[in-house]
Amino acid sequence: MKKVLIVDDNPDVRKIVSKLIQVSGYKALVAKNGLEGMGMVKEDRPDLIILDVLMPKESGVRMYHELKTDDNFKEIPVIMLSGIPKKSFLKSQKVLDEFSGESAPEPYAYMEKPEEPEELVGLMKEILG
Amino acid sequence: MKDNIKILIVDDDLDAVELLTKRFRAEGYSTSEAYDGGQALQKVKEYKPDLIILDIMMPKVDGYEVSKSLKNYDETKHIPIIMLSAKAKIPDKVKGLDFGADDYITKPFDYRELSQRVKYWVAVKVGVEERLNRIQQLEKELIQSERLAAIGQTVASLAHYVKNILFGLKGGLYLANIAIKQNDTDSLKSSWDILENNMGRISDLVLDLVEYSKEREPEFEKCSPNKIADDVCELMKESAKEYDIEIVKNFTSSTDEIFLDPKAIHRCLLNLISNAIDACAFDVSEKEKWQITVSTNFKDDGAVIFQVSDNGLGMGEEVKSKLFTSFFSTKRGKGTGLGLLNTKKVVNEHGGTIDIESNPGKGSTFTITIPKRDLKG
Repeated sequence: MKKVLIVDDNPDVRKIVSKLIQVSGYKALVAKNGLEGMGMVKEDRPDLIILDVLMPKESGVRMYHELKTDDNFKEIPVIMLSGIPKKSFLKSQKVLDEFSGESAPEPYAYMEKPEEPEELVGLMKEILG
Repeated sequence: MKDNIKILIVDDDLDAVELLTKRFRAEGYSTSEAYDGGQALQKVKEYKPDLIILDIMMPKVDGYEVSKSLKNYDETKHIPIIMLSAKAKIPDKVKGLDFGADDYITKPFDYRELSQRVKYWVAVKVGVEERLNRIQQLEKELIQSERLAAIGQTVASLAHYVKNILFGLKGGLYLANIAIKQNDTDSLKSSWDILENNMGRISDLVLDLVEYSKEREPEFEKCSPNKIADDVCELMKESAKEYDIEIVKNFTSSTDEIFLDPKAIHRCLLNLISNAIDACAFDVSEKEKWQITVSTNFKDDGAVIFQVSDNGLGMGEEVKSKLFTSFFSTKRGKGTGLGLLNTKKVVNEHGGTIDIESNPGKGSTFTITIPKRDLKG
């Protein structure tokens, strides 16, 4: 069974999105911040990551950059969930690019909150089949 | 520019007043007159002249007194005063200027000279007024833009908060529909819980918004501050644990009770502790452990002190100064979201005070002091 990791500091979002993952026929992995999220990625490699941007203890901004500049993980498609506009997120990635000297590609999809559950499910099916 | 320049002529000599009135009006000025100092002061209030021709020697209240008085008040100190006097010696002129006159003309004078001086002083006054107006206008714009920024921030925060609730409702509904299709009662129940939970959050939000907009008198009851603080600590314990934050209770041993609005104070403490949790959760520095200390204490005069202290992010001067402008606290937390502004309002309604001490990187302490109240019957 394919695995989808949801990383979000809001427990409601974690609950709902894991359910959405399950009813779509995949296994749900859950993490509440970037630190935990990276831990889960290394331990139990997911096929798709749904990532919230604004979180304490390593934000989605950092985790995204870490993922995309690591050869082991950069192929994993990522859907960003966000309260901030796409422009601001991309700007933040550019800054991290400059710091680290490595550049991260744009995420597979960027959804602004509140996401339509149908859209999220549709995207997952599109990516994972 | 002579349009409606108003000159007040003050002299106890009726003929002199009549003469000046005629000459000024011929030049296009508007005029009014007063015949003694007391009348002059009254007239200035009503007529609001742009310039005053002021005779010195008058019965009861003389020109010196009038000048001194007018230059003492913000509303009138910008009106130029040209003093008139038969006394021509230097010490007399100096005395006039000492008492605030802007210019000094000795009688008898040539009207043409007076006319020139009047033109000059009117131009000065108009220039000063324009500058003052511009400053006032800029001040107003600054306040307005700050207010808009606060409102903008508020609206943005409100939108953010509602977005979160919306997601809960959409998600819950979506899952409920699937559960119904699949005849899965357990899933249906858990989806229903999500829906109920978020409906509750909307109700709380609306209640808080209404409460904030109302000019409400607190509903005072005799209660124990420890009980209120304890309730809130218990409520927030789980939230805090999610971020490895410990809530420490430091309550007074006194069992005294005090008159306050327990629901309102409960909300205040909820807000402060929620903020403290955020401060610790978002603090990325190396700390052994994060702690929020909630204390209660009684002062000698019977007032009660609630204190919420954290060792999280802390804030600098700029953040501290903006604290009470934004309505909503950050996105998570068990609280209804209505932030420090509501807390401050409640504290004010109790006649109390709220103080903040903060050190960037070290933490913050919020202290609410509620005075003792004697409510009989």
